[in-house]
Amino acid sequence: MGFEKFLFYVFAAITVLAAGMVVTRRNPVHAVLYLVLAFFSSAALWLLLEAEFLGLVLVLVYVGAVMVLFLFVLMMLDIDLATLRAGFIRYLPLGVVIAVVMAVQILLVVGPGNFGAEQFPTPAAAAADVSNIEEVGLLLYTDYVYPFELAAVILLVGIIAAIRLTLRRRPGTKYLDPTQQIQVRKGPDRVRLVSQVSTAGLREEQGARDVAQSQEDGSA
Amino acid sequence: MLENYLPILIFILVGILVGVGSLGLGYLLGPRRPDQEKDSPYECGFEAFENARLKFDVRYYLVAILFILFDLEIAFLFPWAVVLDDLGVFAFWSMVIFLGILVVGFIYEWKKGALEWE
Repeated sequence: MGFEKFLFYVFAAITVLAAGMVVTRRNPVHAVLYLVLAFFSSAALWLLLEAEFLGLVLVLVYVGAVMVLFLFVLMMLDIDLATLRAGFIRYLPLGVVIAVVMAVQILLVVGPGNFGAEQFPTPAAAAADVSNIEEVGLLLYTDYVYPFELAAVILLVGIIAAIRLTLRRRPGTKYLDPTQQIQVRKGPDRVRLVSQVSTAGLREEQGARDVAQSQEDGSA
Repeated sequence: MLENYLPILIFILVGILVGVGSLGLGYLLGPRRPDQEKDSPYECGFEAFENARLKFDVRYYLVAILFILFDLEIAFLFPWAVVLDDLGVFAFWSMVIFLGILVVGFIYEWKKGALEWE
């Protein structure tokens, strides 16, 4: 237990430090990179809670995909740091008041006393051959099937909202449409045969004149 | 269960050690003679004239968010695939409904042309 506790404090300290860096960095890209670190150490904390599937999904989804999205958003916004910093002192009192109110609310609602954690003893550590992903699967698709389907609806709403908000047609752009490309027929669309008058006679005349010219140059 | 992850912890520690160690040794042992020309930003020989932070097209955002949504869908498939033999028909159809709802979104996306890169 001692080593596990030590690991917990190490990863918890990394998480808190990284989260602090996220909100204090001036450069938003650095803040996002610290957020990646915070996600990694949170995944380690979840592993310590023996939620290994959730921990790995956290790395896969948040670090792999959501952070890429955050970086894209940062690049799109073209953040002007000077305008962001302007008015910091002016809004500081109001910000402090809101922060204190929120902190008190969080302490009241999710404080350690509210869940009765002391009534639930720590469960015994799982054996080495217990598969966490199986335990999740056995519950998720039977007892929690309704929230599971709701998750699908939320994802559907996300797809439609993203498309409605960001998709726009650009009629002026030039691009190749592969479906039109492969519809080209072999004969008339690819090769155009041009009937042309033969120029062989003209070329012979030209050649004879060139020979006569060179003979004149040689004799001179 | 946690003892299975001890090799990964050791691997992470060794990785950090190698990364920090090589950078730290270079910092400690390498010669440093900075001058103004060395420290000034450069861009292939001419003066840097633009901010490095370019604005991206919003289409990249659309591709990224569609990727995330289907990435999450795949994350839901993993536990299902593991326990399908134990759960039987009910779990099978619950996943079919789940995928059906998302296929609606996929058809919408396809028909709208969100996957086209024009």
